[in-house]
Amino acid sequence: MSDTIKLLETIGSDASLRYASADELNGVLKHAQASVELTMAVTTGDCATLRVELTVQGMPHFPQTQVPGQEDEEETDVPQPEPQPAPSPSPSRVKRARRAE
Amino acid sequence: MPSAALPSLHDTRRGSLSCVGLGMTLGSHLTPLARSHIEQADVVFAALSDAIAEEWLKRMHPDVRSLQPNYAEGKPRIKTYREWVALMMAELRAGKRVCGVFYGHPGIFAWSPHKVIEQARAEGYEAHMEPGISAEDCLYADLGIDPGTYGCQHFEASQLMYWERRIDPAGYLVLWQVGIIGNRSVGRFDIGPAYRALLVERLGQDYPPDHEVIIYRGATLPIEHPCIQRITLRELVDVPLTAEETVVLPPAVTLQPNRAMLDRLQALDAKRREATAA
Repeated sequence: MSDTIKLLETIGSDASLRYASADELNGVLKHAQASVELTMAVTTGDCATLRVELTVQGMPHFPQTQVPGQEDEEETDVPQPEPQPAPSPSPSRVKRARRAE
Repeated sequence: MPSAALPSLHDTRRGSLSCVGLGMTLGSHLTPLARSHIEQADVVFAALSDAIAEEWLKRMHPDVRSLQPNYAEGKPRIKTYREWVALMMAELRAGKRVCGVFYGHPGIFAWSPHKVIEQARAEGYEAHMEPGISAEDCLYADLGIDPGTYGCQHFEASQLMYWERRIDPAGYLVLWQVGIIGNRSVGRFDIGPAYRALLVERLGQDYPPDHEVIIYRGATLPIEHPCIQRITLRELVDVPLTAEETVVLPPAVTLQPNRAMLDRLQALDAKRREATAA
């Protein structure tokens, strides 16, 4: 059986594989003797099986960013934003968008 | 063309620090220079969003130390980040070449890499940051948004709650960490809709309730696809969100010409033409 991490790295760095359909990718993976868990993850789009195979836990939903929150800032030396002049009121009238896309 | 073989230079006299980004997608985004920092380090610290990416990193270096265990339920996030800085500084002071690896870009919405570099330099160590492909970069590509067209504001969502901030609804608005809004110390990661309702109320000052909202999450594994969901602003209150999702609001108003400035620009143009003609 092939090394799953190595296969993932190869898929991630190969332009023809990175955006291949699930069927195409599974065809290549079958040839490469990929694990059942990897092919299943490609088919279902659910990577939970991979985590079982690799014996890694899904990391909890930690923040997408790594910046402290407000309460944290109050008790530390995290720089506070500079005081700003009083902002003018927000626009009271909201027009419908001219779609940008 | 492959580069010529050259020996790497290592200053063995004292420690050095680099903070690099792994990018967002395993195998796709790591730059050659960031990989080199990892491979040449004596010790590597990892703050990644996916345990599989961490396994991949372990293939690049025999001594990868995860920083994730420092997070804990009920523990202020800043305490965790201070611990990260202390761990990296301890190895640096021991004379090691230290590499901190962060998902995405190490300097975007990330406190510890900036802090540890600042501290290392203050103590006389060589320290620098290598950029990585960030969640923001992926967002532009996957959503087909060019921030240069209408402009684009980014806020950590709580910024809109705690501070008087001015939103420009003629440009894009990108909000990070909406899924944990109201969680002031980030001691817990499950937040009820009442907190989110306050954010939607704030956004309602600048956008109509049926305005489009895009929920976005980039791919972290190369067999995944980005998740893109389009809802209305009023639906944002109840839609399930984790800390991994980012919220994007497209422009709500058309750009208004700045007549006074345009007149002054025209006057300058006229002066230049006169000067050229003379």
